[in-house]
Amino acid sequence: MKALEQNRGLCLRVIDTLVRSDAFILVLTLGLFGILCVFYPGTGSVRNVTNLLSNAWPLLALVIGQMFVLIVGGIDLSQTAVMAFTSVVGGMIMTTRLDPALFAANSLWGTVLTEQGGPLSGSAWAAPAAIAAMLAGGGVIGLANGMAVTKGKMPPFMVTLIAMFFFGGLAIYATRSENIGNLPAGFVALGTGGACRITLERGTVVLLPYSLFVAAPLAMVAQVFLTRTIWGRWFYAVGINRQASQVSGVPTDKVTIAAYMLSGICAAVGSVLYTARLGNARPTLGEGMLLDIIAAAVIGGISLFGGRGKVSGALFGVLFFVLLSNALNQMNLSYYTVNIVKGAAIAVAAMLDGWRQRKT
Amino acid sequence: MSDAQEAGGKKVTICFGFQDLETEAWVAAHKAIVEKLQSKGVKVLERNGNQDANKQLEQIRDAIAQGVDGFLIIPQDGQSALTIIGEANQAGVPIGIYNRPPADKSKPALVVVADNEKIAEDAVEYMAKEAKKLNRKMTPLILVGDLGDQNAIGRKNGFMKVINRNPKLFEKPIEVPTKWDAATTLANLEAAIQANPKVDFVFTSSDFLYPQIKAVLEPRGKWKPIGDPGHVILGGLDGDSRAWLWMKDGFVDATGVQDMIVEADMLIDALLKAIAKGDKTPEQWIGDPGFALTQENKDEMAKKMWGYLVLPEDKR
Repeated sequence: MKALEQNRGLCLRVIDTLVRSDAFILVLTLGLFGILCVFYPGTGSVRNVTNLLSNAWPLLALVIGQMFVLIVGGIDLSQTAVMAFTSVVGGMIMTTRLDPALFAANSLWGTVLTEQGGPLSGSAWAAPAAIAAMLAGGGVIGLANGMAVTKGKMPPFMVTLIAMFFFGGLAIYATRSENIGNLPAGFVALGTGGACRITLERGTVVLLPYSLFVAAPLAMVAQVFLTRTIWGRWFYAVGINRQASQVSGVPTDKVTIAAYMLSGICAAVGSVLYTARLGNARPTLGEGMLLDIIAAAVIGGISLFGGRGKVSGALFGVLFFVLLSNALNQMNLSYYTVNIVKGAAIAVAAMLDGWRQRKT
Repeated sequence: MSDAQEAGGKKVTICFGFQDLETEAWVAAHKAIVEKLQSKGVKVLERNGNQDANKQLEQIRDAIAQGVDGFLIIPQDGQSALTIIGEANQAGVPIGIYNRPPADKSKPALVVVADNEKIAEDAVEYMAKEAKKLNRKMTPLILVGDLGDQNAIGRKNGFMKVINRNPKLFEKPIEVPTKWDAATTLANLEAAIQANPKVDFVFTSSDFLYPQIKAVLEPRGKWKPIGDPGHVILGGLDGDSRAWLWMKDGFVDATGVQDMIVEADMLIDALLKAIAKGDKTPEQWIGDPGFALTQENKDEMAKKMWGYLVLPEDKR
């Protein structure tokens, strides 16, 4: 009897330790992956794993951006509009050819846009300039959001909702709802190419996509920023208690503005990766992704109430989320049930995470 | 060996990826495709892209990893169709594109598509013939689809051909963007009719937008049957059941019909043949000539309209 109680106690301690661990979601992810490998052997194939990871890196950039804002106690609903707007800006700068049948009615036709493409069409600087413009655009929108929240004293939800409608609408207006194709090959390679290309039975796959070389440094910089700099500590302090931070001399407004700017820049990074991946700039890019971003962040333990969140959590949340999507595809569920199962799985993961947070 | 078997005798698996099921036409297409594939003994993996080009691309990649034998795709638009075809080509999996063609022919695929320009032209020609009987200059309006979709471009071109052929009959046409979205259409059409109350000739690039037209015209006293002096000459394209019912009731003058069911049959047959032959990058554009259903020929031609056929017999 005593031995039984000792075993029960040991089990509870193991579960407790596991639940308290930062790697809890990673353990869940690996567990799900293991189960899937047993029932759906294709899950562990090289092609499927490379698919999974290539889906994860662009999403990670977006979730890291959202994390900055969530940590300071805000929320950024405009990330998807930033993606669409910056995608269009970049596409207009670097496209090498435009169809007059689609673009002749555009107000920029004949000046910025011509049949030969955008202003930097054919230039070696087209892609770098377009990427720089996209990142700058994301930063400026983030700055505007941050200013409205801090100086305008407007609620973050409302500010970023307005930005979502405004910049999403502007992207559609600027292109009259047209996609911009014929992007430079070097730019498209950013989303489709990579290192270590191997040949499988069905074509080739890249083991290390270029998107990894963008998202991984971004994650490392974010990690250093949050854990090794005074600004990082200010971010958490503002999220935990804004008034106390202010009294303690933390420049709360500057911190909040910086968080929204970083979110905008990260959204632009995501835009670069998704635009390159799809091979065309799209005024509706990311339109349905907002809940994916926030769900991945929450699953990763980034609190919607501010003051809590880690880069590792963002990474684990993203991995869990893309694996879940992949799993639902593997299961061949009817499209009627996929969203229900996805919503339920996210709810369970979020509840487990909430339990974990209470325990810690 | 049946169509649905590969050379090795293994059961064929086809991934059917569609962009959404927002309209009756897509629902009818979905039903026709799944039923036809299943009747051929094919295992069908359904993937709903929810109008997200990136999600659809990820679903295609996942399906390649699952080892599917072929793809049958309704893409989000012509540009994303090209990206998806590229993925399938690279993996050596034959692909068929249904009804919404790629932006160009640079990558090999099986494509079935209606002759949208000709069908729209025929429907609008009949509407123009009716307009001439009124002996006045008409103010035409077109609900334009998402011009990233080649179908929308074809339909607009067909409409414009008739307008341009009749400069004395028509004022400059008013173009209302819809993005293939009912809410966008309602908002834009309200604004357009408010600014141009004389509009008396309306063509919708898709039949699923007829309810929005009625919602805007009816409160202004402009939703009148044919023969009434206030009747707005009305036409569209797709051939859905609502178009038929409102033609029967005398509100719609003409509607272009693309045959969603025959298109599904033709594409599936071509795709299964390619799989059976081991052709990894088959290339063929299959045309659906379609036709214009008008008040003149409706008794004879309605039986060929898919929207008529999907209705229960007592409702036809």
